[in-house]
Amino acid sequence: MRRMSVFPQHGTALGNLGLTANEIRQETENNTSELISDLVNLSARARFQAIRSLPMPFNEKKAIRNRVNSVKLSKTILAADCRQQVSRSFRRFRASLASARQHLIIWQDTLKGIGSRFGTSVLSYFLFLKWLLKFNLFSLIVNFCFITIPQIVHEPNISSITGFRGLELLTGVGYFNQTVLFYGGYNGEVIVSKPTYNMQLAYFFTIAAYLVLCGVSLLYSMSRSFQKNFVLETGPVSGGAWRLLCSWDFSVVNEKAIQYNKNNLAIQLKESLSERLQEKNQMSLSDRIKRLSLHLLAWLLSLGLAVGSGAGIYFLGTNQELAFSSNHDPSDLGAEASTLLLPVVVSLINLIVPLLYSLISKIESYSNPRAMIYISIVRNVILKMSILGILCFYWLDSVPEKTSCWESFVGQSVYRLLIIDFIFCLLGIFFGEFLRNVIGTMCIQTLGVPEFDIARNVLDLIYAQTLAWIGIYFSPLLPVMQVLKLFIIFYLKKISLSMNCQPPKHTGRAAQIQTVFIALLFFPSFVGALSMVAFTVWSLKPSDQCGPFQGLDTPFHTIFSWTDSLPEYHWVGWIFENILRSELFYYLISLIVLVITYFLWQITQGRKQLIKTLREQIVNEGKDKAFLLNKLKNLQKERREMASYRSQDYDQTPYFNPNWMNTLPLDM
Amino acid sequence: MGNKQTIFTDEQLDAYQDCTFFTRKEILRLHGRYHELAPHLVPMDYTNDPDVKIPLALIVNMPELKENPFRDRIVESFSEDGHGNLSFNDFVDMFSVLSEMAPRELKAIYAFKIYDFNVDNYICKEDLEKTLNKLTKEELTPEEVNLVCEKAIEEADLDGDNKLSFADFENMISRAPDFLSTFHIRI
Repeated sequence: MRRMSVFPQHGTALGNLGLTANEIRQETENNTSELISDLVNLSARARFQAIRSLPMPFNEKKAIRNRVNSVKLSKTILAADCRQQVSRSFRRFRASLASARQHLIIWQDTLKGIGSRFGTSVLSYFLFLKWLLKFNLFSLIVNFCFITIPQIVHEPNISSITGFRGLELLTGVGYFNQTVLFYGGYNGEVIVSKPTYNMQLAYFFTIAAYLVLCGVSLLYSMSRSFQKNFVLETGPVSGGAWRLLCSWDFSVVNEKAIQYNKNNLAIQLKESLSERLQEKNQMSLSDRIKRLSLHLLAWLLSLGLAVGSGAGIYFLGTNQELAFSSNHDPSDLGAEASTLLLPVVVSLINLIVPLLYSLISKIESYSNPRAMIYISIVRNVILKMSILGILCFYWLDSVPEKTSCWESFVGQSVYRLLIIDFIFCLLGIFFGEFLRNVIGTMCIQTLGVPEFDIARNVLDLIYAQTLAWIGIYFSPLLPVMQVLKLFIIFYLKKISLSMNCQPPKHTGRAAQIQTVFIALLFFPSFVGALSMVAFTVWSLKPSDQCGPFQGLDTPFHTIFSWTDSLPEYHWVGWIFENILRSELFYYLISLIVLVITYFLWQITQGRKQLIKTLREQIVNEGKDKAFLLNKLKNLQKERREMASYRSQDYDQTPYFNPNWMNTLPLDM
Repeated sequence: MGNKQTIFTDEQLDAYQDCTFFTRKEILRLHGRYHELAPHLVPMDYTNDPDVKIPLALIVNMPELKENPFRDRIVESFSEDGHGNLSFNDFVDMFSVLSEMAPRELKAIYAFKIYDFNVDNYICKEDLEKTLNKLTKEELTPEEVNLVCEKAIEEADLDGDNKLSFADFENMISRAPDFLSTFHIRI
């Protein structure tokens, strides 16, 4: 759409060219008519969005909107009143829908308060938490409706071997063992009611549908975020201009926070100035080798710690848990409590090793602070994913042979891990933030108030969510705990933030780090959980005595038995046999996707070239402008000299503003 | 539903909804906020479009703007006379552009106006120095201020005239994806 002149200065620009008032009015009227005819041709929604985005004062926008409406009306066939009424009521309805949606957003005011005190990067942590909460709520509702309610309604008698003791909340065994909390509490009968409800299929399809929806939603968010935030960086971006003009956070309203941000900005500007001076001294070869070897050493140490933790957990697991599971004495509280040892060790590792990592990174020196943040994120992700990987391997490899009802066992292990992780999170808030704040302000003044470490907190959230996704197949009601946990953590973190912490110092590029977090949530986290569940469903033999898939070879065989039971040539059966089970289909799809990817990549390359050319064109036009200005100045000088010889004839000479080219509308 | 309010006619509210990013409820709430800035000046009944403007000094006392280093420039850029006297329409316009639903191009235009202290359609070195002083006050020495501003112009100026035109500014904004979320005042 043709852009309206950016600075419609009520015709003063054109006035400098020596046009009369009438001609100026004519010109602006032409512009407006063109704008209105453009607007009329748009769809209704695009039209209103375009009107709202006009850079004019409200009264002019209203005038344009009225003219557009009258033009639209004059073009319609229906009675003017009727159509106006219909469109107006339709718009009002849409607006009231929008305001109703506003009500449903939880925590709106709280988030506004956090954003106004701590800025947008800390706010992004809380928004991430809210987003994860939505996933878990959805999963909870879906599982509860489709799996749990039929099971409860159909078989209400739960035989409990022992009464309820308090330890169950932590360990998940005993009273909870045969309830619908875990896989073992479900059985795969076909419920005989008006429409028969096949519990096996319900269990399988509910979990599959939820995971597929999660995956699609994650992919969509990731691509949207990537598109918005990873723009082409073809110039020095972390420099003074950006920091000066684009980085100030207008949403921060609290006086102390603003003072804090001002100090930070000054420090960062000084740092970038000194960096610029330092860049001029090249590093010697020996310095570079020293730096490289330090980096290598740090990486070796980090990877060694990760591998060591993994191995330790594996050995601990194989010794401890199996010893418990083989003699199922329900009254042996001590043995039951000893099952908590593994989760405690895992949480301790998750707590201590990242601290060790930050110590290790102190011995290295980085060229820019952003690289340090990214490398520490990568190391922590490797640690957490290796722990989870070892646990999954242990669960899928050694447990199924040695335990009966092994899926419930895995579900209980995940439950224990989540609960202990939650407890450690609470302890972390208390010790890590509250006590540290007390120590930093009262005892050792130089330590200062702790910073709110966004990366560490977000990675903890991602870790817990991975566990929740792994556990969904083995314990359909696990999201209950995750939802409660996220709720409590939100409020505790908020309180701890206001009482104890200060916002992080390096706030730049928050949007890019957001994209990285979403990508991390998708790639190792969701994909890992999905592959584990898929492996379980595809190739492992379900336990014989409990669960909805008793007696089958693999849970996936429910689909086979279902398609066998369908009448011949049923379209579902046909699709399943000939498309989903044939390899040719997948080859073709992969080929098509590869071709499209190559094609889009070529388009991107072409666009990059175009941008480069356009930049050069801007530079050339600047040079042209300077040249023409010079020529104008010379011409004006000559004219003035000539005019000084004739006295009265040129009173009416319009004053030639040498800067007339600068005052033209920018789209000329 | 609930057309009990008598502050605006329905046509006025429709116009506000069509031309700004706010809903009816938010417009009424904004009117409440506008009214409490100067209760003796602002009538509660806007059905006949009264011509009332609140001076700059009262507007910058709002909690959302009070501590903002650029409060004067923000209010001046949205006022019709350029001196900061806002009518209710200008007031709504201001918060509409600063809300989170405004598109990037619109925000870039007004951000440029805000940073352009001498209103010559260019961000020249003096404008940058003023911006920097508002953001850091006494922290930087004059030489450092000078260096930072020179470096900024060097980086962002594409056509080589030693000042930033709107095209240069917009180019810089397009490489800063955080701009949409930082140039945002919640009300």
